Amino acid sequence: MTLIETSDLWKTYQMGAETIHALRGVSIQIQKGEYVAIMGPSGSGKSTLMNLIGCLDTASKGDYRLNGKLVSGMNDDELAAIRNREIGFVFQTFNLLPRATALHNVELPLIYNGTPARERNEKARLALTKVQLDDRMMHKPSELSGGQRQRVAIARALVNNPSIILADEPTGNLDSKTSEDIMLLFDHLYNQGNTIITVTHERDIANHAHRVLSILDGQIASDQAGARQKALTH
Amino acid sequence: MITGSLFKIAVDALRANKLRSGLTLLGVIIGVTSVMTIVSALQGMQDAIEEDLSQFGPSTFMVARIGMAMSDEEFFEKLKRKPITMKSVSLIEKGCSLCSKVSPRANTGARVKYKDQALRNVMISGVTADAFEVVEVQLAQGRFHTPDEDRMRRPVAFISDKLRENLFEGVDPLGKEITINGRKYTVIGTEKKSGPFGDNQERGYAYIPMSTYATQFGEPSRIMLAVKAVSVGALQDAMDQTRMILRSQRHVPFDKPDDFDILTADIVLDVINGFTRILRLALIGISSISLVVGGIVVMNIMMVSVTERTREIGIRKSLGARQKHILLQFLFESLMVTLAGGILGIVLGFLAAKGLMAKIDMNLAPSIAAISLGLAISGGVGLFFGIYPAMKAARLDPVKALSYE
Repeated sequence: MTLIETSDLWKTYQMGAETIHALRGVSIQIQKGEYVAIMGPSGSGKSTLMNLIGCLDTASKGDYRLNGKLVSGMNDDELAAIRNREIGFVFQTFNLLPRATALHNVELPLIYNGTPARERNEKARLALTKVQLDDRMMHKPSELSGGQRQRVAIARALVNNPSIILADEPTGNLDSKTSEDIMLLFDHLYNQGNTIITVTHERDIANHAHRVLSILDGQIASDQAGARQKALTH
Repeated sequence: MITGSLFKIAVDALRANKLRSGLTLLGVIIGVTSVMTIVSALQGMQDAIEEDLSQFGPSTFMVARIGMAMSDEEFFEKLKRKPITMKSVSLIEKGCSLCSKVSPRANTGARVKYKDQALRNVMISGVTADAFEVVEVQLAQGRFHTPDEDRMRRPVAFISDKLRENLFEGVDPLGKEITINGRKYTVIGTEKKSGPFGDNQERGYAYIPMSTYATQFGEPSRIMLAVKAVSVGALQDAMDQTRMILRSQRHVPFDKPDDFDILTADIVLDVINGFTRILRLALIGISSISLVVGGIVVMNIMMVSVTERTREIGIRKSLGARQKHILLQFLFESLMVTLAGGILGIVLGFLAAKGLMAKIDMNLAPSIAAISLGLAISGGVGLFFGIYPAMKAARLDPVKALSYE
């Protein structure tokens, strides 16, 4: 089942007198249950592509279908609803609310779809248990290590059972040992049937994926099976 | 459901920034307090004036040569008028079918003395016994004079609270003998303390029977009348009948205005209100400036808060918060601050106004109208000055907000 389908996606910025084409006609398809890495150097347009896939931004030209629904052309609030239901973000800088507990941070997506408080609490606890943070629920981000913070963010991404987990340089702020732990967690989530898209410029991280999309100058340069995929032959 | 959660988020944000919330609160408190002080004090004055005028009674009107003059010129013009005499009393009694009582009143100044206490130029009013039915004089102790006492020219006096205070400090005045221009009178009653506007005679005043008055000061050549209509509904028609009787008695040509004044409580109130309107508007206007300043404080702080929390807004939006969710979150913050400030401002403003009123011996009761007005004003300030920062927050672009440092 095709989850993501973009056709000839363009994103153009106006910087003063200069016109910058961040994306120049990107057409990709991603199936449900895939683990895809989007790779490319900085300035290649991979973050722009991630923003479009994550419905944080809209394309200047071209169509984007998510779960069969045409997302390009939706307004701000419709996009917010899609983000809430379909997408779980994991950011490089974690993006947790500093003053809120881990539990409250995980509850946030549920607040905005009107989940009743008790159910919210149960689901958030369950999500935190899944990332082995059941003993840190009432801690604030400042009381957690980098790896723990990222696991809170992953729990938050999972809590609404989204179609895609979208990770933007998820290990960019972590040491290599912790990075490996986080990537193992992604592997585990993938094995449970989640669709995962990571955006990265690190080959090691991309190697966890079973498919690697390389992007260069706003265009897809290559679309290959990942290293692991080759090795394990799923 | 969502609204409740957003409300809680707003409360948490306010609590997390106690100093900032406190300063905003202070701005609102000062603004609301100043407006509420002025509004409550003005309301208190208005109530006091109305209470004083209620002595008139709802179906009573006054007829006088000079009822009211709003300027010197008007006063001097009215001085040329012929006096109203006792003859008018019987004419109105006969001719006005809708008048139930006509009570004449003659005034003069006299020297009043009790033992060593003497006062010059105290207003002495000669009134018939039914004056106390026409004009609602409040009895503190004792009684008014009776028709019999009037007929028999008894030397009895009913004194105002001010006069009692001036003459009888710490002494029960009932049955005591005072002298008016040397003639002995027995005090038979005292009037209740009236409002600050009721007793405009600094030394106080005394009522004595009309016939006694005529005996001592001579048959009065100029009087004023208090007339009671048969009912409240008939007041206007009774005034018209009286007006026609007096115009014909005084030979006023049909194309000339009345050469006497007819007053009711409402007419007096209208005149006073018209006279003080500009002053009241100016006071409310000036006090409103601090409210606007308070509002600007709210707006300023909310703008800073939105900028400071740009990233938080980006995070919330990435997790599915819609524009209205962000809008409500920030609007709740400004509303909560202004309403809390409003409640405190209402209380402080009321206490300040009460203090002011106490200086002129007036009481002030909290009124539902003033409280609702205060709440409406503070809520309005929160909405008006909070909506722009909240909209700014709601419309932030999630990508830009997330990358904000």
